[in-house]
Amino acid sequence: MMLQTISAAVLLGVLVLVPSRAASDKPVEITLPVETARLAESPLPGYALAIGLCSTCHSAEYVQYQPKANRAYWRAATVKMQKVFGAPIPDAAIEPIADYLVKTYGMERPAVGSGSTAR
Amino acid sequence: MMQTRLSSFIAMERREFLRTASVMAAGAAAGGSLGRAATADGRVMLPFENGERELVAYPQKRPLIRLTARPPQLETPFSVFNEGVLTPNDAFFVRYHLSDIPTRIDPATFRLRVRGAVTTSLELSLEELKKLADPVELVAVNQCSGNSRGHFTPRVAGGQLSHGAMGNARWTGIPLRTLLEKAGLGKDARQVTFDGLDRAPLPGTPDYIKALDIDHALDGEVMLAWAMNGEDLPMLNGYPLRLVVPGYYGTYWVKHVHDIEVLDTVYTGFWMATAYRVPDNPAKAVEPGTAPKKTVPISRYTIRSFITSVISGSTLPVGRERVVRGIAFDSGQGIREVAFSSDGGQTWRVAQLGTDLGRYSFREWRIGFTPSKAGTHVLMARAVNRIGETQPLEPLWNPAGYLRNVVERVPVEVI
Repeated sequence: MMLQTISAAVLLGVLVLVPSRAASDKPVEITLPVETARLAESPLPGYALAIGLCSTCHSAEYVQYQPKANRAYWRAATVKMQKVFGAPIPDAAIEPIADYLVKTYGMERPAVGSGSTAR
Repeated sequence: MMQTRLSSFIAMERREFLRTASVMAAGAAAGGSLGRAATADGRVMLPFENGERELVAYPQKRPLIRLTARPPQLETPFSVFNEGVLTPNDAFFVRYHLSDIPTRIDPATFRLRVRGAVTTSLELSLEELKKLADPVELVAVNQCSGNSRGHFTPRVAGGQLSHGAMGNARWTGIPLRTLLEKAGLGKDARQVTFDGLDRAPLPGTPDYIKALDIDHALDGEVMLAWAMNGEDLPMLNGYPLRLVVPGYYGTYWVKHVHDIEVLDTVYTGFWMATAYRVPDNPAKAVEPGTAPKKTVPISRYTIRSFITSVISGSTLPVGRERVVRGIAFDSGQGIREVAFSSDGGQTWRVAQLGTDLGRYSFREWRIGFTPSKAGTHVLMARAVNRIGETQPLEPLWNPAGYLRNVVERVPVEVI
């Protein structure tokens, strides 16, 4: 059956390309490129918490590419991860994580000095 | 002040173009193989604050703009849209929500389930699915709900994308209707849900499941596709099977679809009931910075057009004619007209439309343009569809950063 199909396809020439060539029955496997973004280092207690809790599910660009936002935004984002997305963030960790995020990536980031690390 | 901001904006766009151009050439020369563990191939600067991104070549992909690594989210460099009306598979954007994504799929053991309010539950191999009916083909745009979110003012949270979270492909598959008729629908069927193989690492995260109303699912156009542009779907675009929902935002185009459930209720999962919602008013917009009182699930594309052959910040010689090209699309009415302005929208001329690949496709357009005097000119394109819908000159705003379709401005320097 398979041979017949192939022979017919060869005879029909260009029609082989329509509608879908490729159609291999072999497994498809990919290797994803390495992750390069890292949460910016900080002496704030929220840094280690963020590494441990945020990084379980997503890479650091989710944080670093956001527009400058205030503390309320980062607190709400952290609570959303806990309540909506089921991240095992203890209640006591919400405030330190939000503090780290707003001071590293948000509106409370110092104007001078820390820019180069917050990538 | 305004002048300074414009200059820096132009400088950023020019940098993006130059870097992208050199990297694209390098990527093309290197070729691509499935298992290649790609590395960063340079950086681009998207034209908004905090817009620096890596260019990374993922498996089956040329270097694309990496929004996030885990899960992978990749944006198409805008120059690709000037290469042709169909977006090559290796340049097509990638969007996932949950980070436990499939990286190995055996088409021989893959099964698609259809269950719920049906007469007969099905469990089909790919081979069986492909034999259900003659394959159909459709050219259709897939655009992320948040495409161009980074251009919102005031800025909004979410994936900070420029205009590259869209693409146009020729999809091959079978109508979803064929499959649902094979299963046989119960009288009370109200919605159909679609689940892909992508999962969250944590059990408490809502699985990415989307729903269509039953009439929509049965419209004969919604499709289960296994190929795009004549080849198997790339893994990152949903291999071996994805939903194609013509005219509807990409959020519904579920990748790696393996489980379809017919419901006699309205699906209330997070990704329908809470996420991907837009203001429930005719403009689907609110005053910038405010929250809508009531929302509905996002649905059809707004009408858009882009200039693709001229980059913001380009320098054009005075008195020399050139052809300006671009693309336009809408949610499936079809593009009736594209108008072009070279004076910031004061006067408009009608462009010539290119080949019609169908009402869900990008529609190419072109127009001759001879810059007549030196200085800064703002080029603009504005599309109208067959029911008279057009693009606003001032942006509409919603808190999620969806639906952007303002007439885009391309400032150039004529010398």
